[in-house]
Amino acid sequence: MESSFVMPLCQYLQFSWWATDIRESLWLYPFIQLIHFTGLSLWVGTNIVGDVRLLNLGKKPQTAREVRDGLFIWNWIGFTIVVLGGFLLFSSRATIYIVNPAFRVKLFMLVPTALIWHIFLQAKTPSWGQGADTAAIGRVAGLIEILLWISVVTAAVNIPNY
Amino acid sequence: MSMTGWLFSTVSVIHYFSFFITVGGAVLVDLRVLGLAAKSKPLTKVADQICPWMWIAFWFAILSGSLEAATDAGDYLPNFWYELKIFTVIISAVVVYIVQKQIPKWAEKPAIPAGAKVLAIVSGLLWLGSILAGVELPAITGLG
Repeated sequence: MESSFVMPLCQYLQFSWWATDIRESLWLYPFIQLIHFTGLSLWVGTNIVGDVRLLNLGKKPQTAREVRDGLFIWNWIGFTIVVLGGFLLFSSRATIYIVNPAFRVKLFMLVPTALIWHIFLQAKTPSWGQGADTAAIGRVAGLIEILLWISVVTAAVNIPNY
Repeated sequence: MSMTGWLFSTVSVIHYFSFFITVGGAVLVDLRVLGLAAKSKPLTKVADQICPWMWIAFWFAILSGSLEAATDAGDYLPNFWYELKIFTVIISAVVVYIVQKQIPKWAEKPAIPAGAKVLAIVSGLLWLGSILAGVELPAITGLG
């Protein structure tokens, strides 16, 4: 993992001017966390509202397709904000994060899996979620997405424990 | 009350996940009131779709957050940043409740009133403020 370029890249990030500023400032670090968590609220919020609709749970004023279409742009705006905040947080302590087992499981296994699943689900929702009741496969797909993002948060919460 | 490592982690996961859904849901409703999200979908339908889940998540966040605070209640409760966070969360919840209750009236009008948009902006900013108070707590006090 720590091949010839990964650790030097992490050192470069960690000692960049922005990462140094974030690390050394008392107030800047929480603002970067605010960016990451605001993005996560939009990303997780839009994903879960779409998933529970796919699962046919609760009120159904809209079809799963309508929910997906209405929230699509903010879903990906949220993701962009998550990546920006996450990159800055990572930069501030890159050499420490990169060797952390929980961080590695999160970033290199769970996030790519959940992200690929999300893109697949989002692409298929127009056909699964046309009517009031979602196709059975759509319900399973929605449940899997919820579990995948819970697993991502679980790995993230455990980063300080390693 | 003390919690073992895995139990505390589980409660933290519930807290993070539920507050993401709470804040995300509230901000999406605010964005719809502002005409910036799901504009092609009726306001009442968007709110009806999101609000029940937002409130379920809100109570999960309150319950899990209370459990976390209970592990160190003596340190949390008198802390300024903790008190500010709780105060901001309560005000945010009251404002988004008002937004939710007014939505049917706003939806009947030919255009969403300016006052509604101001309230939606206030609601969104309050939720961001509650996150900020939450992340300032460990940064400044070491709690959490």
